[in-house]
Amino acid sequence: MATPRPRVKLPRKIAAGVPFTVKTRITHPMHTGLRHDGKGRIVPRRIVNRFSVRFDGEEAFSVDLQPAVSADPYFQFTMAVPGSGLLEFHWEDDDGSVYGLRRRIAVE
Amino acid sequence: MAPTRRDVLRLGAAAAVLLPAGAARASNGVAEAVAAFTGGAVPVEGGVRLDVPEIADNGGSVPVRVAAPGARRIALFADGNPRPGIAVFRFGKLVPPDARTRVRLARSQTVIAVAEMADGTFRRASRKIAVTVGGCA
Repeated sequence: MATPRPRVKLPRKIAAGVPFTVKTRITHPMHTGLRHDGKGRIVPRRIVNRFSVRFDGEEAFSVDLQPAVSADPYFQFTMAVPGSGLLEFHWEDDDGSVYGLRRRIAVE
Repeated sequence: MAPTRRDVLRLGAAAAVLLPAGAARASNGVAEAVAAFTGGAVPVEGGVRLDVPEIADNGGSVPVRVAAPGARRIALFADGNPRPGIAVFRFGKLVPPDARTRVRLARSQTVIAVAEMADGTFRRASRKIAVTVGGCA
C-alpha cells in the first residue's frame, strides 16, 4: 500500500472569531475486512479509525471512523479561532501508524 | 412423547404467522448500535439536519452532511450495511456541530443520525436513500 498522504485545505486569510471552512482528506484504501482479493482470500481490515484536530493542544473536532467511511476519508467542518495558534491534524491507522499535519494560523 | 407429524405441521404454520414479512432480510443490529450510543435513551425526532442525496449512483462514496445545533456528538448509522456504524463526530467549542463526509452504502437503505445534545438528551433524523451500485461497506 502506498503511504497515506494527508491533505488540509484552509482559507488564505483567517480572522479572529470569524468562522472558516476546513477541508481534510487522506489517501487510504479503508479496507473493510469483508472483501476478498482475486485469489479468494479476505483482505484484512485496515482503516483509519480516528481523526482528530487540535488547536493549541485542545481538541476541537474528532471522528471515530468505521469501515463504512469511504476510501480516502474526507471531512469538512467550520471553525472559528480566538487568535493565532497551531492547528494539528492526526489520522490514526489500524496498523498503529499516525499521520499528522500542522498548520500555523496567523490571524489578521 | 415424540411429536406427531400433525404437531410439526402446526408448529411450522405458527412460525410462518409470527415472522413479519420484512424479516426475510436480517437486521444488521442498527437498533442495538443506536442504543449503545445513547446508553439506552430513546432519541427524540427533530433538531437534526441530515443531508444525503435521494439517489446515489455510486454507493462507494455518498456525500453526507449532518448538523445539530447544540450537539456535542453526532453518530451516523446505516440500517442496510453489513455493520450498522459509520462514524461518530465529536465537536469542541471552536467547531459548530456541522460536518460533511463521504460514506459507503452497500444498497438502498436508511441513514440515521443521532445527536447527543449538551444537556445529555438525544435527537435523531433519518433519510431513505436509493443506491444504484452498492459500495463495499
